[in-house]
Amino acid sequence: MSRGNGTNCLDDQVTGMALSVLAEVGRMLETLADSGREDAIDLRSLPLTDADRAELEQMLGRGEVRAELDLAGESEVWETNYPGAWWIRHRGAERKIASEEIAVCRIPEILKTHPVDIETAALRIRNELETTHE
Amino acid sequence: MNDKKTLGEMLTERGVSRRTFLKYASYTASIMALPPTAATAIAQGIANARRQSVIWLSFQECTGCTESITRAHTPSIEDLIFDFISLDYHHTLQNASGHAAEEARMQAMQENAGEYIVVVDGSVPLKDDGIYSTIAGITNLQMLEETVKDAFAVISVGSCATFGGIPGANPNPTGAVPITDIVTDKPVINISGCPPIPEAMTGTISYLLSFGSIPELDHLNRPKAFFGEAIHDRCYRRPFYERGMFAKSFDDEGARQGWCLFEVGCKGPVTYNACATLKWNGGTSFPIQSGHGCLGCSEPGFWDLGGFYKPLSTAKGDPLKWAGGAAVAGAAVGAASAIMARNKRNKILKEGK
Repeated sequence: MSRGNGTNCLDDQVTGMALSVLAEVGRMLETLADSGREDAIDLRSLPLTDADRAELEQMLGRGEVRAELDLAGESEVWETNYPGAWWIRHRGAERKIASEEIAVCRIPEILKTHPVDIETAALRIRNELETTHE
Repeated sequence: MNDKKTLGEMLTERGVSRRTFLKYASYTASIMALPPTAATAIAQGIANARRQSVIWLSFQECTGCTESITRAHTPSIEDLIFDFISLDYHHTLQNASGHAAEEARMQAMQENAGEYIVVVDGSVPLKDDGIYSTIAGITNLQMLEETVKDAFAVISVGSCATFGGIPGANPNPTGAVPITDIVTDKPVINISGCPPIPEAMTGTISYLLSFGSIPELDHLNRPKAFFGEAIHDRCYRRPFYERGMFAKSFDDEGARQGWCLFEVGCKGPVTYNACATLKWNGGTSFPIQSGHGCLGCSEPGFWDLGGFYKPLSTAKGDPLKWAGGAAVAGAAVGAASAIMARNKRNKILKEGK
């Protein structure tokens, strides 16, 4: 309940927010199942304490899929214990969390390869082969 | 700089994947309080945009705003903004000097007429024909008018450019005025703060790049995404305010217990900024978390609004006006405990009068 600088803080207190977010995730999963509509919750926009965040992470758990991304800093994506609910954590400077969200979808957009990158990859291989043949 | 390639094409050539755009877009959506699902549109908008020409004018200022936006840290997602813009003129950062620097400004204005963004930090002196601050032989007023003529938009950063700041504080010896007093025929976005939060500056530029339009602004021309809520509304010490638990001095038991700093001068209830959520130094902390009250640096005329360590109720000016802000902010919670806090505050106000 106390920080190193002697000041007290509420970051260690559970406020019940995690349960509310869990309920919201549940509603989003129902919508995804019924209509295919994807949605997401920006965790940074919510007044979650550190304890709330930890509780939410524990409630959702970790499922079958986990990915680490190395792009302008680290990112982690994992499917929670509730298929279709993904936890996406992007880190920025000094590994601090730059953005964090729960995406309710079949597969997060960030894991898909963009068509432009596929085209570029094909071009690179073609150039590589041409260089090899020369 | 007038590069015809899109940012997507430019960065693909450098091996930057669209996933990186998407990551940046998620970060931007988060700090701009946009729905996470907007990230895809933001990423696409940035990829299709051309590198944005930015002309940065520094007038009566301390360079703190530049320090804020360029704060050194490891290369990361937050730095990508510097790949998205072409900073064509900036006294402190550009290599060129003298005539070459001024030529760079002219060239950027000609090549990007109607499309470039002018960022201004510092106020403009008008007294005695503006002689108190000149650059390249012309007054700040002349340089500003000349540069904004063909700009797409103007972003005033820092308290000096947005509201006059220190130069404009009493007795305002140079007749300093904010940019909005001079530029009236262009959109002017105010990013106030002394200095402003870096994410507020970069986020606003990213929004302009992604959507080609001005974000929603408050009555002081500030983006609502960053200035839509009072520090007090998002303060982690707010529950103590609601319970009427206040530190009386910086070294008493209340201060040690992290109670509300209202009575030691915190201006959080009447200050609109994102310090309590975005925080400073990469999200490390913000003044209240470090044990000091908010100074109110993102509000107009904060230097002249009374002592930093006087409670709002006793600060110079109309105490009831200040109290109104606090009461409005407090009304959002409406818990029974708030009644106690209000009674406490009313008592302070009464004593202050």
